[in-house]
This record gives sequence, structure tokens and C-alpha cells, in this order.
Amino acid sequence: VELVTHNMYERRRLACRMPMQKWMINVRVCIYISMLVYMYVHCSLSPVSPVSLVHRLIVIHTAVAVAQAALHLTTQNRMMMLSRSVLSASSRRLAVKAFMSTEAGAAGTMTLNFNLPHESVYSGAQVKQVIVPGAEGEFGVTADHVPLVAQLKAGVLQIIHEEGSEPEKYFVPGGFSLTHENSTTDISCPNAVKLDDIDSAAVTSGFEAAKAAYASAEAGSVAQAEAQIDIDVNRALGNAIGLSLV
Amino acid sequence: MSTPTTFWRLAGMSYLQYVNKASAVVVNALKEPAKSQALARMEYSFNKSVWEAGTQGKKVPMKGA
Repeated sequence: VELVTHNMYERRRLACRMPMQKWMINVRVCIYISMLVYMYVHCSLSPVSPVSLVHRLIVIHTAVAVAQAALHLTTQNRMMMLSRSVLSASSRRLAVKAFMSTEAGAAGTMTLNFNLPHESVYSGAQVKQVIVPGAEGEFGVTADHVPLVAQLKAGVLQIIHEEGSEPEKYFVPGGFSLTHENSTTDISCPNAVKLDDIDSAAVTSGFEAAKAAYASAEAGSVAQAEAQIDIDVNRALGNAIGLSLV
Repeated sequence: MSTPTTFWRLAGMSYLQYVNKASAVVVNALKEPAKSQALARMEYSFNKSVWEAGTQGKKVPMKGA
């Protein structure tokens, strides 16, 4: 079973493209109810013994099972065939549990492990939110976040310790962020510096020197790639301290 | 280029070389006390010894990287 939402039944009904499939999901219930109504009407019209009633119930159940099997064979719809297991509450709970963490800390905090090669900045700290500079875009991680592995780009990592407090910022040149099911996030970077330690004059001169090195380097060489890295990181440093380098 | 990979991979660099170069750029852009502390952390050196007939010779620091 791979669909995992809180409202899987609704999702499946809406996802059925053919209109007939939409009501076919309920057909088992319809057959059952119509059989019961028939049985009730028939029994009330003619006197019948309890044993015969049980016999009829068994016949109805068999008929419903046969009808459902026929549906499975005819519709060829994988989602329809999974309907019984998908609709069962226990398997839905299991599926939701696979992707939702239930171990958030007190008052919805997450655990942060932020490590550098030479220093463990945070180990097991309970924080509210971490804003991570992913290579494909910046994103925030809070308690109960879906598991995620992200490569980082040069940018600012912000740690919000409590609701509404100012974020604690570090500039990181790169690294990886791994968020696990139990609301734990591991962030590993080769280096992390406080924004106050960044020298704006050094950033500007480094950026200009890198542009010159890029222009004079041979296309596709390591020297040009290193100049490109220089340009990108200096631009990110400039953005972090409020310079706008072009 | 339309190859689905990064510019540094195309130039022949590995991820470690890429991220260590980015880290070095950040260190160069630091203010004074933080910069010299970071540069001191980045220093490395090698010692060399020659093995002869199963015994290790004397370790000698190598010059240069």
C-alpha cells in the first residue's frame, strides 16, 4: 500500500478518473444494503424460521464476496483492488505512521545535532525550527518533518530555539542535512562562522579577484571551477552580511 | 552544457575538493581572530620513514604539502 494521506478514502475517490469508478467504491456497501433490505421485506411478507434467516445471511455474504471478486477482475484498477486493505483503519494507521513521526519533543520541539569536523556545535539540542540553505532552495525543518536528505549550498543556517525568538545564524560553505523520522536533524558542515566574523572588505576584494581569475582561466579547467566556487561563495557571503555583489 | 551534473564534477573535482575549496574561501573572508584560528586548524604536515628489512627507519618531517 503506497498511498499515505490522512484521508486516503477521499483521495482515492477523487483520483478515480472514470465516473463509474467513483460509485463502484461504494458498491460493496450498496450490494450489502440492498440484500438486507430485500431479506427484510421478504421475511416480513412471509413467515420464516430463524434457521432459514441465518441461511439467507450466509447466502448474502457469499453473494457480496462473489460480486466483489467479479469487480476486482473486471475493473483492472490497482487502486480498486486494494480497496479492502486500504479502507481498513489499521493499515491506514500503519501507512500514516510510516511517514509521520510521533516522537516530537516537549511542546513540539525537534532535536538538532549540528556538527563540524573540529567541533560539535549542538548535540541533542531541543530547538523549535531550523532554516537550512539547501542546494535546491532554502527550507525550514520543524518537529514531525518528513524524512529528508539535502545537500547544502553556501548560505546562512538559522536556528530558532524558541517560538518567536531571534534566529541564531551561522554561515556555512556547504555540507549535508539529514532529517530523520523521530524529529531529529543532523547537519554536518566543514565549517560554520558567525556573521559578525565576516569581513566585508575581504569579501568584496575576494569577489573581484575571483572574477578576474575566472576570466583568465582556461574553459573547463580546475582553475576555472575553483574561480567559479570563489565567485559563488563570496556572493553568498555578501548576501549574508547585506552586500549585493554582482 | 546540458549534462545533468555540476560544473566542478565536469572539471574533474570531487565533492570533497569542492566543499573544502568553498570552506577555504569562507576562511579567507573572516576577520582577524577568527581567521588565524581557522587557518591554524587547516594546517597539516607529513612525516616520512623508510622501512628496510622489516624495520621502520627514522621518521622525518616532509617539507611542502
